[in-house]
Amino acid sequence: MPFRARRARLLNAMRRESQNVPLFMKPAIFIGSSVLIGLLFAFQEWLSVRHMGYDPHTTMLFESWGYQFLVWGTLCWLLWRFLNQQVQRASILAMFSAFLPLSIVISLGLQMLYVLIFRNLPPDQPEPSFWKRFSIYAYAELLNNVLIFWCAFFLFRGIGYYQRYREQQEAKSELEIQLANAQLAALRMQLNPHFLFNAMNSISSLMRSDVDSADNMLEQLSCLMRMSLERGDSQLITLREEMEFIEVYLAMQGRRYAGRVRQSVRMDPELYDALVPSMLLQPIVENAYVHGISKTEASGVLAVESRRIGNQMRLTVMNSGVGLNSKPSKNSSGHGVGLRNIQRRLNLHYGAASSFGIAELDSGHVQVDIVLPLHFESKPILITRFGTR
Amino acid sequence: MIRTVLADDEALARQRLRQLLKEIDDIDIVGECATALETIQLVNLTTPELLFLDISMPDMDAFDIFDVLTSDTTKLPQVIFVTANDKYAVRAFDINAIDYLLKPFTSERLHAAIQRARERLASRDEAPRGYPGEPEQERYTTRMVFKSRGRILFLAVEEIRWIEADENYVKLRVGEESHLLRKSIGALEKRLDPAMFVRVHRSSIVNLHHVKEVRSEADGDATVILMSGEQVPMSRSYRSRIQKLIKG
Repeated sequence: MPFRARRARLLNAMRRESQNVPLFMKPAIFIGSSVLIGLLFAFQEWLSVRHMGYDPHTTMLFESWGYQFLVWGTLCWLLWRFLNQQVQRASILAMFSAFLPLSIVISLGLQMLYVLIFRNLPPDQPEPSFWKRFSIYAYAELLNNVLIFWCAFFLFRGIGYYQRYREQQEAKSELEIQLANAQLAALRMQLNPHFLFNAMNSISSLMRSDVDSADNMLEQLSCLMRMSLERGDSQLITLREEMEFIEVYLAMQGRRYAGRVRQSVRMDPELYDALVPSMLLQPIVENAYVHGISKTEASGVLAVESRRIGNQMRLTVMNSGVGLNSKPSKNSSGHGVGLRNIQRRLNLHYGAASSFGIAELDSGHVQVDIVLPLHFESKPILITRFGTR
Repeated sequence: MIRTVLADDEALARQRLRQLLKEIDDIDIVGECATALETIQLVNLTTPELLFLDISMPDMDAFDIFDVLTSDTTKLPQVIFVTANDKYAVRAFDINAIDYLLKPFTSERLHAAIQRARERLASRDEAPRGYPGEPEQERYTTRMVFKSRGRILFLAVEEIRWIEADENYVKLRVGEESHLLRKSIGALEKRLDPAMFVRVHRSSIVNLHHVKEVRSEADGDATVILMSGEQVPMSRSYRSRIQKLIKG
């Protein structure tokens, strides 16, 4: 890759990363603040020395303090930049066995550096040997320095906690919004108006030609509505409930198509209590009828199946009818909408752990495949519907 | 002829019942009423054998009607509740109603309910025991009430052909359909009369009244063949039980 492109990529990555860093931890600000603290210490010392009547050696004083805290600031920032994960996760044991020695080593190292650079300190003293000076400073300043390290350490831990708290809050409010949207969507789905109106239309037409069939269809429709009411607001219902709904729905549709369709509903008994989004299958089955089976004259087939695969569940709706490649008919409004809604709901519930696909099997057969993670009913199932004598 | 009273506050509901009952020869509608008080008066006056009763009457709860009637007359009608609301089913079952029809119901459903009424009335004439309203004290379950696919079923256990265990559920094979119930097959076995229901397999119970024959297989296992043509596998360990019962 040409150099310019690589550089641009690196800069972009850095820019993105810097956006995730809280304002306070940006290098310029952090190190700058550190130096400022150093200068404040210098100022304090300047005042006290002056007060005692000595010459504070202003320049040297401020310089030495400034450099010391510049170095500390840089070191601490580097600690944040490269060892933040370890800082956040350090157990008490790790703090004692790893970070404590580290703090001592760094402090001593810095002392050495300091003493090497500032040969003139401590002031008003004949210039002693390196080790002499070093020992004076080590004696006086070691604890201070180690303390500074640990202040930074716990500061970073605090910042880490705060960040995680903020992330949690954001995630929580995001989830609340998503859930509200899903509820709205699901409520709309519960008594899908299209399917109701279609059914009522069929009943209306049957009324004049075949009263008994109209009666039967009315009763089936009311069963569907009762089942729908029973679920209430639940987002998720057991697969058994969903499949029973589909069975009645299929019986009703089958009658509309005058027994032309061979239907089958198969369910793995292990999955009876598995949870699925409410009204997941009805739009798919309706689709199979409206866009598949109704378009052919010949007898058709519609098979709904649910199978367990490891810790996932696979739902398939297979129907005969016009293939996917054929041109959509004029009234194909609502075709994509119903299925898109399902995809959206699957996404909201399971994210990447679910999948939705439509495939043409061979000429004239279409299959919709849904894969879901397997979750079971957690609360005890009420046996209120069962009485005996 | 079964003397019948229709009680419903809605005229259209009564009209529908009337129309459907016209097709049934042995039903004789002797009166119609629209309030609870009218119902009580009419029942006292005509002493019908069958009463179609809507639960939500304006002046009184349908179940309260029963309390009043029980204290008044000795010959009470059998009751078929007719209502749009499904939540009274267990209560209706507890006072020994014949059936619970959810509006809108099909004419087939009505016919099934009336058949049950006929059977109940016939057996009452033979050995009158217990009024409607008084729970029968039976050792074994004779009737079950449950909800399946949006419908309420008052099921006489002898209508069950066979029962299959499926994980945490049992599947009852009745008529054209099968119903899933969340119960263990062992618990169900205990509640059913062993003279009628036999456990033939870890996961099956058959109703002897529906058994046609038992066929031995080559490997020592056997198959129970029902009158409906269904085949239920039988395991060796349970085999002796059914042999005894068929012979005896």
